[in-house]
Amino acid sequence: MKKLIYVLVILCVVAAGIFLLSPPKTVAKKKTVVVYVSEDQVFSEPILKDFEKETGITVRAVYDTEEAKSTGSMNRLIAEKDNPQADVYWANEPIRAEVLKQKGISTPYFSPNAKDIPPMFKDKDGYWTGFSARARVLVVKKGVKEKPESIEAYVQPRWKGRAVIANPLFGTTTSEVAALFTKWGDEKGRAFMVALKQNKVAISTNNGESADFVAAGQYDFSLVDSDDAVNRIRQGKDIVMVYPDQGKDEIGCFIVPNATVLIKGARHPEAGRKLIDYLLSKKTEQKLAFADCAQIPLHPGVKLPPELNPISEIKAMPVDYAEVAAKLVEIQPFLKSWMGL
Amino acid sequence: MQKRVFLAIIIVLLLLVGLLPVFSMLVNSLGLDSHFSFVAYEGVLTSRHQWVLMGHSMALSSIVTVFAVAVGVPLGILFGKTDFPFRSFFMFLFAIPLLIPPYITAVSWFDLLGREGLLAPFMGPQLTAAAGRFLFGLPGSALVLFSTFLSIPMILTMVFLKAVNPRLEEAGLLASGWRGVLKGITIPLILPGILLSAILVFLLSFGEFGVPNFLRYDVFPVESFTQFSAFYNFKAATAAAVPLAALTLAILAGEVWFLRKKGSQLRPSPDAATAFPIPLGKYRRLMFSSATVLGLVLVVLPFSVLVIQSAGIKNYVEAFNRAGDSIVRSILYAASGAVLLTFIGFFTGYLIQTKAVKFWRTIDFITIFLFALPGTVIGIGLVSLWNRPWANLIYGTSAIIILGYLARYTALTSRICATRLSQIPPSMEEAAQVAGAGWFRRMILIVAPLARRSIFAAFIVGYIFSLRDTGITMLVYPAGHDTLPVRIFTLMANGSSRLIAALCIIMIAITIVPAAILWAISRPVAGKEMT
Repeated sequence: MKKLIYVLVILCVVAAGIFLLSPPKTVAKKKTVVVYVSEDQVFSEPILKDFEKETGITVRAVYDTEEAKSTGSMNRLIAEKDNPQADVYWANEPIRAEVLKQKGISTPYFSPNAKDIPPMFKDKDGYWTGFSARARVLVVKKGVKEKPESIEAYVQPRWKGRAVIANPLFGTTTSEVAALFTKWGDEKGRAFMVALKQNKVAISTNNGESADFVAAGQYDFSLVDSDDAVNRIRQGKDIVMVYPDQGKDEIGCFIVPNATVLIKGARHPEAGRKLIDYLLSKKTEQKLAFADCAQIPLHPGVKLPPELNPISEIKAMPVDYAEVAAKLVEIQPFLKSWMGL
Repeated sequence: MQKRVFLAIIIVLLLLVGLLPVFSMLVNSLGLDSHFSFVAYEGVLTSRHQWVLMGHSMALSSIVTVFAVAVGVPLGILFGKTDFPFRSFFMFLFAIPLLIPPYITAVSWFDLLGREGLLAPFMGPQLTAAAGRFLFGLPGSALVLFSTFLSIPMILTMVFLKAVNPRLEEAGLLASGWRGVLKGITIPLILPGILLSAILVFLLSFGEFGVPNFLRYDVFPVESFTQFSAFYNFKAATAAAVPLAALTLAILAGEVWFLRKKGSQLRPSPDAATAFPIPLGKYRRLMFSSATVLGLVLVVLPFSVLVIQSAGIKNYVEAFNRAGDSIVRSILYAASGAVLLTFIGFFTGYLIQTKAVKFWRTIDFITIFLFALPGTVIGIGLVSLWNRPWANLIYGTSAIIILGYLARYTALTSRICATRLSQIPPSMEEAAQVAGAGWFRRMILIVAPLARRSIFAAFIVGYIFSLRDTGITMLVYPAGHDTLPVRIFTLMANGSSRLIAALCIIMIAITIVPAAILWAISRPVAGKEMT
């Protein structure tokens, strides 16, 4: 009996060893694509499954985790620079795509499906192409009279201690702050951040939490992503969504598109290009608009859910995302000290 | 000769798997444009705020350690030494929080006490606000980590109590009651185990980032994490992890100094198995009620949120549909990791315990040092070392995950085995040696059978920690080969709370069921082990 147990244990170990050292089933197959994804898995996985069904190309994905603030994929791409494992990176904002371009990790690809996408939302050299965007909107508690209509409301005395913003060291809030610095210049940008503090603006850990705070009535408004706002509106929360700074002389609403990136030295470049074409299609944009992430299509003429405005009707903040990415790196020490780190 | 060569292989393996990736990161952090530079360290070591964060981390870890030891050791004595009823059940109950990533426990507490939590309708707005204030900050972080790590001192106390020679206690009983025996004999004898548990709890709390971040209490690991996640600056991230490593080394030095002064008197006795339990008498009911209340508050209450949220077959069907492959992989990886962790840990423990090499203490330091490092540092180290075309058999397969487990968790299995090995009289191995048995023969026929229980314990601990790992796994898993905890985290971003709750329950089940089966198998063996 004892011997039998030992034999079984040894067999299990050998079997496990073979299993562990065998490459993933699909590696040997020709039709495979490896994609690293920063967009939430609940929204991105169905799209990738549809791609698999429609093209027969197997998708092997690495998704980002909530715990790592959606930066695990980026860190992996950077660490794997000399021996890339990924073919495509699905970034949930173009700043990361710009960082990859600057670090020499991506390679150009002009997808035929990107023709109708406005030039502002794609890299002129083809290193990344935007699709399905989030708008940075104000989520405002229902019942608030004279709703804030500009992000400058954050520094108006009227809203002292009544507003909340997500940690500007992470995610789309950092990108927006960097964008504001590029539009306003450093002096005004810094003054705005200092004024935020003086106006006792609360800091939350993420945009979702900010939206929850407003929905719970703890604060009057917050700057969040449009998907956070739409999500809570669909849940019946007492909030409204305001596209900020839409006036004639105002700077407009910061738009954060997803971005597709082809990785330099990709092992499956052909399949990678096919996946990028698929992601940049109108069909994908429509699916993402009607999904809970409620993202705004960048192609004209794509059907929209009622909560969203078409991109053509939103006054977008005209920014150069490459400039924003560079500014983001430049202002990190300032933001760090602003956060007291 | 056999011994020397084999242990040398184990050491090389340990260095290659664990230290080399981190060493390459350290070297990298000291280089700037191919020149030696401390630039990455300047920002970390000269900032006043870093020391404030260090203070926060020290406060959090100290509170968690003090409470975990103060409650865990009595629980261990209660379940391991007395006639307390339903001991196995209670032991499992208190171990549940350790089985899942602490971040999920924090989310459970939030779902319970938060603004829209399960208890909010019953507590009213004022009490809910007060609960929120308690949860967000030092008290909440301490509570979650305390409930997570409470079972470490509890289990280690139980393990060490098994090794106390009952004859010593019986002799003590002739002159004193159980209270005096516990105070004068038993507890001093198991002090190394208590100290080990305190160190483990302190280091695990100190390196924890997810819980304090979620509950908005700034701690030191936030710097390393921020450097990774906001700045993609691997050099600065490594530099930020160095103070953690320094603190670990300081704690280990303290442990060595303390144990050298105290010495260990634990030796097995032929009649250890006949030790009789302490009769609780009139206190039995009181103790039972107290443990029940504690279990309800620390475990049942927060985890009932998961049970309530996951209720319904539909949620479990969806969970299996969305993560069935991850569940199978998790079990396989954790089991494979546990086998190797037990193997390497056993021999590392042996060489540490028998001081088989001159630098045995360095080996011990290295394993604990790796255990204390943030998983992200080891993860990035593994990527930068192994992600090369010639190493695709490792990096492109799940073997890289197993290497990560070995790097991080060998300290646990090594310490568990070393502790048990310290209780085996050297005369046993020596007698076999005199009779002409070679080293391998002695290990297989004498030492390993005597340490069977601890080998099982090491396997179970290796399995649990491999299964719940996210820090390393999420950075190194090959595309399409994620594990269940990683899948839970990736689905947590905007995923349905019902699905997440169902996945957490499955996670608990796949941890408890195999561990319980193994523990049950190991029990009949245990009786023979000491004889």
